[in-house]
Amino acid sequence: MSEWLAPNSFQHRQYAHCESGAVAGLLNHAGLPLSEALVFGLGGGLFFGYVPFVKLNGFPLMTYRCYPGGIFKRVTHSLRCPVVQKRYRHPQQAMAELDRLLEQGHVVGLQTSVFWLPYIPAALRFHFNAHNLLVIGKEGSRYRISDPVVSDLTWCEEEDLCRARFARGALAPKGRCYYLQGPPQVTDLRPALVHGMQVVCRDMLAPIPVGGIRGMRFMACAMEQWEQRYGVRKARYCLAQLIRMQEEIGTGGGGFRFIYAAFLQEAAVQLHCEKLEALSDRLTAIGDAWREFALSAARCCKGRDETVTYHSLGQQVLDCANQEDALFRELRETTRTLKHQLKGL
Amino acid sequence: MPDAKLYDELVALIVDTCHIQEELPDVIDPESSLIGPDSPLGLDSLDAVEIVVAVQKHYGVRIGGENTGREVLDTLRSLAEFINQNRA
Repeated sequence: MSEWLAPNSFQHRQYAHCESGAVAGLLNHAGLPLSEALVFGLGGGLFFGYVPFVKLNGFPLMTYRCYPGGIFKRVTHSLRCPVVQKRYRHPQQAMAELDRLLEQGHVVGLQTSVFWLPYIPAALRFHFNAHNLLVIGKEGSRYRISDPVVSDLTWCEEEDLCRARFARGALAPKGRCYYLQGPPQVTDLRPALVHGMQVVCRDMLAPIPVGGIRGMRFMACAMEQWEQRYGVRKARYCLAQLIRMQEEIGTGGGGFRFIYAAFLQEAAVQLHCEKLEALSDRLTAIGDAWREFALSAARCCKGRDETVTYHSLGQQVLDCANQEDALFRELRETTRTLKHQLKGL
Repeated sequence: MPDAKLYDELVALIVDTCHIQEELPDVIDPESSLIGPDSPLGLDSLDAVEIVVAVQKHYGVRIGGENTGREVLDTLRSLAEFINQNRA
């Protein structure tokens, strides 16, 4: 067995976000130590989407990141890392395959439902089917789990893990598992860093009404109508859901903007590019603006500030959209220059 | 280790920020949960957003990025330790 495949040597650490944390854990174990921010940026994780005709737990789909599984797919592709990903129709087959992989010494990533994981405190469990964790071993009927958002290694009974892997509903995991078949083939990260930034610029500046900057502007206009459309009570629930997606579910705050700013800072060092450092500072300030929006929204939900209206909240989102529009256009120009520089080397 | 003065300051800041009007216990255990059903201050996740912004404005420390808010806002002690470690 190769050393990199030995789960006994797996080092657990806590991350802000589950998918980038799981991928960082797998890559670190495979011998490529990367920070969570680098993984998030290499995977082009930053996005914004407002899709009112798709409902998640009864609310319009609102997201500050790319689709589930996207970070794993893009990072492993960029780093030319051989991987296997599978979904299953039958739970028994999925669990048997997991046991077989663990016996072979693999660290296995799983997509699960947070709601069915007993080691997550009850107050934090909710119906979200795209939570990522790593399984590093098995003892009797219990699996040894490295959950990226939990501080220490933990255990999970087979029955519970199986239920979490086959939860139904939106983004149903269908037993999805993934693992690395070998270490990354790329050692020079610079082209992958530039590519990751280009992916984010493309997605944020895309000419589609529900995504990126246009998605933010769409939501800013739509939220002014939420009270009329949904009623006072449900409109507040919508706001609370938006705050949760922005500040809670492992985003690192500011809807992943702080994590992405940390990525730009690390990329600035690796690419010797001062412009990226300046953009990182600006994105941190934009993250603060998103947080101010969340603060106003929270006060609106709690009825603590009568000066906050859905119109004023929409204006705050518009302001963030305008700032991000300018930032990602500059980042796009910077990546073009960097790409030419790298080609010339 | 954070001192009692910082704990008192933080409790006062939280009470003011989150408009807590209920009577509080005389002594708040720094190890008790800050947010959630077990919180002696009765705080929820929306209050957490207000606390994060208030702490940033008051102490100049940003809770974010790879410092998980969940971890920092676990207890009064973890919040106080984070402030002590990160303020200029």
